[in-house]
Amino acid sequence: MTSSRHTRIFEGIDFGTVGIYVTIVLVGLVSIFSATYDEASTSMFSMSHFYMKQLIWIGAAWCVGVVVLLLDERFYHMFAYPAYIGGIFLLLAALLVGHEVNGAKAWFKFGSFQVQPVEFAKIATALALARVMSAYSFSIDRVSDLRKVAMVICIPLFIIVLQNDTGSGIVLGSFLFVLYREGLNKWLCIPVLLIAALFIISFLLSPMTLLIISILVCTLSEAMMNGQWKTRVIYLASIALATILSKIGVELVSPGALSLYGCLLTVTLLSLVVVVVYAYRQNLNNIFIVLSLFVGMMIFLPTTDYIFNSILKQHQRDRILSFLGIISDPLGVDYNVNQSKIAIGSGGFWGKGFLQGTQIKYGFVPENHTDFIFCTAGEEWGFVGTMVVLGLFAALIFRLINMGERQEEPFGRIYCYCVASILLFHVMVNVGMTIGLMPVMGIPLPFMSYGGSSLIAFTILLFIAIRLDASTRQFSSLHRI
Amino acid sequence: MIDSIEGFARKRTLQCVVLLIFSLLVGRLFYLQLMDDRYVEQANRNAQRPIVLYPPRGEVFDRNREYLVQSRPCYDLMVVRHDMDKDGFDTARLCAVTGLSIEKVRRELKKTAQRPRAPHLLASYVLQEEKMRLDECNFAGFYTVDRTMREYPRKIGGNLLGYVGEVNRDMIKRNPVYSPGDYVGMSGVELSYEKELMGKKGVRIMERDTHGALKGAFQGGAADSLPVAGSALTSTIDAKLQLLGEELMRGKVGAAVAIEPQTGEILMMVSSPSYDPDELLGRERGNHYMKLLRNRRNPLFNRAVKAKYPPGSTFKLVQGLIGLQEGVLHPSDMHSCSRGYAYGNKKMRCHDHASPLDLRFAVATSCNAYFCYVFRDILDNPRYGSVKEGFDKWREYVESFGFGRKLGSDFLDEGQGYVPTRAFYDRAYHKSWNSLTVLSLSIGQGELGCTPLQLANLACIVANRGYYYIPHIIKHIEGRDSIDRRFYERQYTKVEAKYFEPIVEGMWRGVNVGGTSTRAKLPGLNVCGKTGTAQNPHGMDHSTFMSFAPKDNPKIAISVYVENGGFGASIALPIASLLEEYYLTDTIRRPEMLEYVKNKVIYYPKYDK
Repeated sequence: MTSSRHTRIFEGIDFGTVGIYVTIVLVGLVSIFSATYDEASTSMFSMSHFYMKQLIWIGAAWCVGVVVLLLDERFYHMFAYPAYIGGIFLLLAALLVGHEVNGAKAWFKFGSFQVQPVEFAKIATALALARVMSAYSFSIDRVSDLRKVAMVICIPLFIIVLQNDTGSGIVLGSFLFVLYREGLNKWLCIPVLLIAALFIISFLLSPMTLLIISILVCTLSEAMMNGQWKTRVIYLASIALATILSKIGVELVSPGALSLYGCLLTVTLLSLVVVVVYAYRQNLNNIFIVLSLFVGMMIFLPTTDYIFNSILKQHQRDRILSFLGIISDPLGVDYNVNQSKIAIGSGGFWGKGFLQGTQIKYGFVPENHTDFIFCTAGEEWGFVGTMVVLGLFAALIFRLINMGERQEEPFGRIYCYCVASILLFHVMVNVGMTIGLMPVMGIPLPFMSYGGSSLIAFTILLFIAIRLDASTRQFSSLHRI
Repeated sequence: MIDSIEGFARKRTLQCVVLLIFSLLVGRLFYLQLMDDRYVEQANRNAQRPIVLYPPRGEVFDRNREYLVQSRPCYDLMVVRHDMDKDGFDTARLCAVTGLSIEKVRRELKKTAQRPRAPHLLASYVLQEEKMRLDECNFAGFYTVDRTMREYPRKIGGNLLGYVGEVNRDMIKRNPVYSPGDYVGMSGVELSYEKELMGKKGVRIMERDTHGALKGAFQGGAADSLPVAGSALTSTIDAKLQLLGEELMRGKVGAAVAIEPQTGEILMMVSSPSYDPDELLGRERGNHYMKLLRNRRNPLFNRAVKAKYPPGSTFKLVQGLIGLQEGVLHPSDMHSCSRGYAYGNKKMRCHDHASPLDLRFAVATSCNAYFCYVFRDILDNPRYGSVKEGFDKWREYVESFGFGRKLGSDFLDEGQGYVPTRAFYDRAYHKSWNSLTVLSLSIGQGELGCTPLQLANLACIVANRGYYYIPHIIKHIEGRDSIDRRFYERQYTKVEAKYFEPIVEGMWRGVNVGGTSTRAKLPGLNVCGKTGTAQNPHGMDHSTFMSFAPKDNPKIAISVYVENGGFGASIALPIASLLEEYYLTDTIRRPEMLEYVKNKVIYYPKYDK
């Protein structure tokens, strides 16, 4: 009896995915070994070494993984909201009484052991999002439902940004990926992405340009959703005409009282009243969504300067400016990225060999066992190594997408997509920053970077997906019999 | 709720997005790791520190295997500011140990502040005993690098051997073998034979960490190389003769060159004033160099190979030889001289002697008029139609004697002297000139300029009866069978051997029978010689003497030139004679002449104003 129970527990588990996971974890361990190996050290197995600590964390993570697999899939469904509330609570607690690392007040410290609650908040948010969106009555086109989704994502995001851990916060933005899969109107994705883009480049453009771009993009995406191009063009033309006329009028009455930008802003804001009336009469609800995005943008954009100068820390500002090529300082801000590029670039095709990476061994790449762990693979194993690592991650993400697609319940599908999007975002940003494609945001490479809480959290995140998938397959295999 | 067809389409789109993101990453990695080579270089620059191992420079021996130049160990004192004892460093103690001045140390240490982890050169030429004391003190952050410096056991031949200095930026640009801080030959033999003397630098590549601390050998030392010492050179110089030459020339400005006619080997080459080669060594090199540079007698100028002197009467030999070869002169031709050669309302003066006289006697007694006749006969030879054609012919002969051009010796900075050309006179006299216009050339005056090396070479030509070997200063290079083949080839003049006999006879008579050179007589050695007294616009006449001995099978040919020394016989002759005597007999039997020469100090208003 016990053996049949045993087979039932692990029945349906996607061992291919588990295999990829184990491989990535072990590659990570080897990389950490390389990065922190000390020739001078006498005792190789001393617990003071990072690789020995990571070995323990791997053991712990696997135990947690097994526990995750042992729990019933209905538990995660039920557990979603309590976990979400717990996650929010932890984030708030970290904000209030947490420990500050690199300017982010986002850590709990227990002795020498540090936990970042945001790692777990991601799981909770993914579960809550899956729960909200899998509700029977949920429709993504309905404004009230969309508002719920926005709340689920934005509450933790807001707290994380307050913690000054912007990098981790932006990870939650990757759920747009999920929303798209679940039928979010694609013309809504564009203004959302635009806000993110504008946030980064807003201080590069004049307010006038920003305003014109916002008007054009919002009108365009609205027109793509509702058609009726003619009226939209007439709307744009009349705004332009009204702006010019009002500018002339102002110049006649009191010269210089209102700039062209002021005129355009005034005319546009006034025109919104007409738009509201129009939307109400025509019963076009999605106009309200675009409208709220536009107003949000109008409120948001003037604050980007404030956010940039007051909320972001100096090093974060420098990183963004340096990434955008506005400042260049190879020994200062660019130093990490530059050294990281040198390490990876000098690896060549086959790499320099195990423990032969001079840039890593001699400490030229900072944080080479945590955020910049990818450099180790790049320098010691070369192009072959980086392709293997990227290949493993790509395989994992594709498997998760397929896993999501074969779920019978929307809850499972949405959750799997959440996991895929979180992993994709992490890999993209982390690898991107080591090769100078992304600004340095300080988020780890999943399963590979040194760190217990990150490894355990990612393991839980992934294994819940595997657990959900396993029950589907178990169920379908039963049916087949 | 999304329908499954739309959902499938969206899944495809998302898969494409994932693929796009990954291919961006892959593309970037492809470029970084496979296409762009810069990163490998930068990684090496980051993590490697090559330590240069300097080879000792080659030694130079004299012809009897005595050391002229040696290499001895010295050290560069380096400092890494970061490793210095922050509070316990005692500048005064370092200075006491090394003999450096406190200001200099402070100044140098200040410079290190910008790159505290990089090694800086604090002082060069730290001597062995200073280094040992340094090692005892064991200052943190200081270390020494092995170098070698030159040493001159005999303190002779400053100009001849040249000096060694630090390589400058231009040289590095021209020859990338050098890097800043290398020592390189700047003049003389050091410069000419730089390639042989320099050796090959070795390198030890060390790995270093991000703080600049060394972490051991790169690839276990597989890429390292050992330094190869420079080749030793054997010079043709006779150190004892050189020493005597320098002593005799002291107090005079000029040059003396002695060559072995049968080989072209330079036995001695003195440029006066000379300097102690040890002065251009070590830490005080710069100061001494500036002092020498400011010296108005210009001791750094190697007069022996670079100065342009009027050859004076020694050039009459060349005129006679050309006349004989051209057939316009027979040894028995008689010309009369009435205390000079009158032409137009001018007169080329001559001293009192028997008249008329033949060629042999004219050489022995150095008659000006006789050679005016000879020179005019050469230029006005009807065979060539015009004076100018005759002049061209004359110049061809003169050039074959090695005048007006570089001889091709192994001195890179050899001068070429000056023999005027037809074009020069055309310009100077607006094309209307004749043999009388340029008559002063007949007695080696006028525009003519010769280096002392060329004059010594003329002595060789006469001694060899018509040919010479290109004079050279190095006769053997360690590890090679031979020197450049041009030094083994006879260079023939355009005058046949048979025409040399009357000239040699005249030179012999001038010393041994009666003439201007009788003081140069050495019993049993059959010395041949020719004096010269060159007028010059700067005060007294230059004194010169050209000689070889013995008459048959000559062993030494010599030329001495003393600026403002008066008659050729008064100072140049005794110097040359003493050198010949010393070289051929190893002793000097005329102490009174030696004393006279050593004590003779010439006053030079043009230098010492």
